[in-house]
Amino acid sequence: MTSTRFAGIFLTAFVVLFFCYLLGPLVVMAVTAFNSSAFPRVAPFECFSVEWFGVLANDVRLVDGLANSVYIGIGVVLLSVPIGMAGALFLTRIPDRAKPWYYTVAVSPILIPGVVLGISTLVFWDRLGRMFGAGDESVFYDGMFLTIVGQTTFVAAYCLLVFMARLQRFDATQEEAALDLGATPGQSFRKVLLPFLKPAIASSGVLAFLASFENYNTTVFTSLTQETLVTVVASKVRHGINPSISALAVAIVALTLAGAVVYEILRRREAGTGAKAAAGRNVVSSKLGNPALALFLLVCVAGIGTVYFAGTVGVEECKATVQAEKRRRAQERIDALEKTLQDGAASAAPEAPANPGETIFAPRNLQPATRRPTDEAAPTQGEGRQTNNPFSPDDLAPNGDSPGGQTSGQTGD
Amino acid sequence: MNSGPATPPGTFAWPRAFFARYGAGLGASVLVLVGFWILALVLVPQLAMADFSFRPNLPPTEQGGPRDVYTLEHYEYLVRGGAGGEGEYNTVDLAVLGRTLLAALFVAAVDLAICYPIAFLLAQSAHGGFARLMMVLLVVPFWLNEILRAFAFRILFGTSGLVNDVLLGVGAVEEPMDFFRDNVALYSGLTYAFVLLMVFPLYNALEHLDKSQIEAARDMGASWLRVHWRVVIPFAKPGISSGCAMVFMLSAGALATPQILGGPSSLWFTQIIYQWFNTGNNWPRGSAYAIALLISALVLVLVAMRVFKVRLRDLGK
Repeated sequence: MTSTRFAGIFLTAFVVLFFCYLLGPLVVMAVTAFNSSAFPRVAPFECFSVEWFGVLANDVRLVDGLANSVYIGIGVVLLSVPIGMAGALFLTRIPDRAKPWYYTVAVSPILIPGVVLGISTLVFWDRLGRMFGAGDESVFYDGMFLTIVGQTTFVAAYCLLVFMARLQRFDATQEEAALDLGATPGQSFRKVLLPFLKPAIASSGVLAFLASFENYNTTVFTSLTQETLVTVVASKVRHGINPSISALAVAIVALTLAGAVVYEILRRREAGTGAKAAAGRNVVSSKLGNPALALFLLVCVAGIGTVYFAGTVGVEECKATVQAEKRRRAQERIDALEKTLQDGAASAAPEAPANPGETIFAPRNLQPATRRPTDEAAPTQGEGRQTNNPFSPDDLAPNGDSPGGQTSGQTGD
Repeated sequence: MNSGPATPPGTFAWPRAFFARYGAGLGASVLVLVGFWILALVLVPQLAMADFSFRPNLPPTEQGGPRDVYTLEHYEYLVRGGAGGEGEYNTVDLAVLGRTLLAALFVAAVDLAICYPIAFLLAQSAHGGFARLMMVLLVVPFWLNEILRAFAFRILFGTSGLVNDVLLGVGAVEEPMDFFRDNVALYSGLTYAFVLLMVFPLYNALEHLDKSQIEAARDMGASWLRVHWRVVIPFAKPGISSGCAMVFMLSAGALATPQILGGPSSLWFTQIIYQWFNTGNNWPRGSAYAIALLISALVLVLVAMRVFKVRLRDLGK
């Protein structure tokens, strides 16, 4: 009995830890999106601000990348959903002996690293283009086209799996009945099979779009000079991090969440409308009168409004306060340093200035201040480090391992 | 797949049955789509890449010319290193390849260890609202792409990140730790990136496990450990193997996470491939490296499947 209870406690603790691991990084990232600090961090939470979302919306490269991602996503959906469907239908109609071979080849793109798929697409179309003597402007060297084709290679395999799962529940006698009753094969496909596959078409379409939208490994090779949202974000993250990336993540999660909720409500309403329409109710009124949807929209608007209000009003004052506080703290530090230096000089110990106050401050923090002990220069220096332009690269590198940031993090509120 | 008795026994009878079922127009479009996909997107590009990797790195004007002959130079470079390194081995690149494969194995093992209890719980004992909540919580992180997830880890593990703040706060360490140099950030980021890919195959396999089997084993006096070892794990073997194969292949082929979370001195093999294509401007060599990665990873998967007695068709179920 006790062993089962022990196991129960252990399992509960494990589940809690597991979900902390899963969601913790996202929560941390979400918090940094609303922190006015130029380096994405949680610990000294300076001011609640939505400025990073503004930075996001004004980033031309990011917005262009988003547009490209959407075009590519649409292209991939249009290509891979029919291919996935055809692939699944084909699988049901070939001899049993051939099925494992076909299945292995068809599903292999899921297991092949995306990098390899990208390279093989690039090489193949390059050689094909050369064979036809096509110029650099032709479709063979078009980043959008290559990306659509390269992603379709494996996205179609996802779609195939979705269609296969649905087809396994298909009663083939329905189709046979239609054919026996004189329907042409086309009619039986349109009237029997296609309606049955409709949910699979919808879900594989969504899956294909999402898989395309978030793909990096293949896209980074095939996109050539074009950029998608993901490649833009990747190059931004590699060259230095700032909270506008966190803001992007928050926006994506919020949009997806909203999409999922709206989808769920619409789905339920669709199920409900059927019943209501049968009862002779007006569809329009049911559309307007759906309380869940209205409530959800209201909550969304109110939530966004509150966050926006809180994140824009009073931010400047808050920032000024934080800055004054930083200046004061830097001043205190300098005073303390000077005192230690003076003490050191007074005691005339030659090794004292070499590492004064090591117990209080990180050693590297001392050097700039000791070089510039004047009252005027030092505060600006301390302040400049914290409020640099978010995009200047040197803001990010030093902050990453700056002992100054560390100290303020420790002594902070 | 077992959709009726319409598949005739003869090998050459099936096309007729195929067109009888779908008609000329529809049947032809199915064939064209499947043919385009399998040939022009899957098979021929892989072969083109393989062919390309055996050719010298020539400027476009000379390709197809007299100097465009088959050569093993790129594979030789991977094994032996550049000119002048005769008799030596290209220890740098080979070490990176070895480390990448080992680390990917490690990531798959860790993912299996942490996902197995979750998948078991989800499939066997969670019900109703709790199960649905767990599902949603599992899926939410995967609405974000790999790069944003890696970015979250970068914030978390930075020198002034939350993990270091906490460690310094409780006095566990004196100086902030460099998680990037030690690859701690990279391994946790990769493990995190593929959690869902491990949970779902495991869940699919375990969902079909009849509870009475577990109860019978319990009634016979087997301990929990023994129940899992003798009943649950053998039953879930297809799920375990496809989860592990996917996580292993995807982490060995990961590019974004190592680019963002990798330490300055440790490369992932995909990064070397990327360098040959981008800065190295040597596509054939990049292709050769890509093929080396693909083949060595596939061989590892096949060997593991042979060792654990898993058939190929069990994967992807």
